[in-house]
Amino acid sequence: MGSPCELITEAGSRDRARDLARLVADEVWRIEDKFSRYRDDNIVHRINTAAGRGVEVDEETAGLLDFAVTLYELSDRKFDITSGVLRAVWRFDGSDRVPEPEAVRGILDKVGWDKVSWQRPVLTMPAGMEIDLGGIGKEYAADRAINLLRAAGAPPSLVNLGGDLAVSGPPSNRRAWKVAIEGDLEGSHDRLIELRQGALTTSGDARRYLLRKGVRYGHILDPTTGWPVPDAPRSVTVAADTCTQAGMISTMAMLRGQGAEQFLAEEGIQSWCRR
Amino acid sequence: MTISKERSVTATLAAATCTLLGTVPAPVDAQEEPKWDFNTSVLYYGEDGDRVQDASLKALIRRMFVDDRYLTLGITVDTLTGATPSGAIRQDGAQTFTRPSGNGSYVVPAGEHPLDDTFHDTRVALSANWTQPTGRAGLFDVGTSFSKEYDYTHLGVNARYAHDFNKRNTTLSAGISFSQDSVDPVGGSPRPLSEMLDVGDISNRSGSEDKDIIDVVVGITQVINPKLIVQANYSLSQSDGYLNNPYKVLSVVDPITGDTLARTPGIEGGPSGIFLFENRPDTRTQHSIYTQAKYYMGGKVLDVSYRYMTDDWEIDSHTVDLRYRWPLGSEKYLEPHLRFYTQSEAEFYRLSLPDPNDPNGAPLPAYASSDYRLGNFDAITAGLKYGWTTKNGNEMSVRLEWYRQTGTIPADQIIGNQANRDNYPDLNAVIAQFSYRFDL
Repeated sequence: MGSPCELITEAGSRDRARDLARLVADEVWRIEDKFSRYRDDNIVHRINTAAGRGVEVDEETAGLLDFAVTLYELSDRKFDITSGVLRAVWRFDGSDRVPEPEAVRGILDKVGWDKVSWQRPVLTMPAGMEIDLGGIGKEYAADRAINLLRAAGAPPSLVNLGGDLAVSGPPSNRRAWKVAIEGDLEGSHDRLIELRQGALTTSGDARRYLLRKGVRYGHILDPTTGWPVPDAPRSVTVAADTCTQAGMISTMAMLRGQGAEQFLAEEGIQSWCRR
Repeated sequence: MTISKERSVTATLAAATCTLLGTVPAPVDAQEEPKWDFNTSVLYYGEDGDRVQDASLKALIRRMFVDDRYLTLGITVDTLTGATPSGAIRQDGAQTFTRPSGNGSYVVPAGEHPLDDTFHDTRVALSANWTQPTGRAGLFDVGTSFSKEYDYTHLGVNARYAHDFNKRNTTLSAGISFSQDSVDPVGGSPRPLSEMLDVGDISNRSGSEDKDIIDVVVGITQVINPKLIVQANYSLSQSDGYLNNPYKVLSVVDPITGDTLARTPGIEGGPSGIFLFENRPDTRTQHSIYTQAKYYMGGKVLDVSYRYMTDDWEIDSHTVDLRYRWPLGSEKYLEPHLRFYTQSEAEFYRLSLPDPNDPNGAPLPAYASSDYRLGNFDAITAGLKYGWTTKNGNEMSVRLEWYRQTGTIPADQIIGNQANRDNYPDLNAVIAQFSYRFDL
């Protein structure tokens, strides 16, 4: 998953803890192997290299694609799993290398879910376009892991996949799981959240940006323009029933830019924004 | 899937997530950790034999802000009553003293240790500190303190910086504080080494006095291994100004018998003997080294510390403090506490003084005090604390401690009949405290 992952569980013995960790790790790796865009042996690779031909997908992939369609519509076309190709021109490495407008325009015709034909179970996409399920996969994996732990009758547990985390229930001998949200400084705490049930995710990374002529370009890209969303919060932390919901809401809030807080307030979401 | 505009984003997303995961999740239960932390306590300190009683209410209130920044506010209210040794020695007959105010007198029965029972006061102390990280490994703290009692005002500022090194296993810190205190004694501050006068005579009194104190401390904290953490501090304290206790006197005695020289009180009444107000140097430099180790042993924590203090008044002291935190299940603990303290007397500590008007007598020293706290004494504190966590996660504790102090007067200071009297009575005190810590 490209980030530290952990399972914290109240298993009474080392063996039980190892079994549960194995259960979670296997599922997380399965999802990563299946949906990573960095591999050449999975369904995402087949879709991205189909060169305009239709690809028939399995049930699980179809479920994720349906979900992506919902997000696309809910976000007014801003949450788009075909936007990954914009990374070819945008590299948020703290430098001042903002791409030329022509370069961005040149790549925009390879972006847009409206150019894709999705007739379950067949996906047909113009050549040169790519899908990337990275914006959903981690949250989905965390929720799947929690469901597996519940099904296995595991004691209270917390699954943390690189900051996207979910719990199977409240800890048995304390008030809540205490989750610290990292501040701007590595190791500092922006705030502490007590989580008893549900999930918590944070979108935004204060260390990923470009800076040119005093203008800060955050790393959240608007696929309808090809440019970073202006005035997005530095980070949005959301609490929701599932990690998937929390992650999607925090991303959608980021995509609203200046309107992030208003969106979260109108939706009645428990959230913490940082500007 | 078509999205009806009436449905909120959240509801649509929740339905889509249920479809994706194939399960209906339990509703989220999350809250931001409380931003206000209240640490409150009520404490009773009582010395035996009608000596000092102190009832104290204390609250430490912390307000957390984002990025590990916080404001800490402190408030303490103390009420002191009881009697405290005046510094005069016992006599076989009754003794009369003028009150510190100069407005009256009191009598100490024959053979009893002279205590001044006019001692009562209310003290209010306030403090505010702001703490915030600086950079990745630094922590900066700046604060101010103020306290006021009837005859004493304190105003202080302090700053401290701590820096983590070595993957946060080592912390170096440095701090400085400055305080400006003023004493405005009841009845005015007496001229040092002047006589206690008759009731109504305040010719040896003047107004308020000041002192400045600068404290500097540097320290290191080191994590040795996951079970052991050690700490060492060096601190320097420099006091300048009026360091006397304006209410303390010394008995002037006969060089052979050691009895207090008699004096004839005036019509308004006054002291029955000759007593001189004490005088201390107007500077004091203290150095102290503090070391501490905390050792974690399967849930139990042993906390051992040692402090060595030395100053240019020639007081050397050693303190050993032991605490053992013993968990009883996950929500309760017992903590026995033992503290041993010993100090040598100040170079100007005197049980009594020679007659300054005797041409053949010993000369009066430049500085003299018989304050028992500047004497040679040992003290032991033994106590037990019981703490528990309430159902809603708040912490409560009760602490009960006994304190015993035993002093000795240097043999070469004891003259004549003084040898038959207890010149440094033992002090026994009890400390009871109830603490309650809660969040809002």
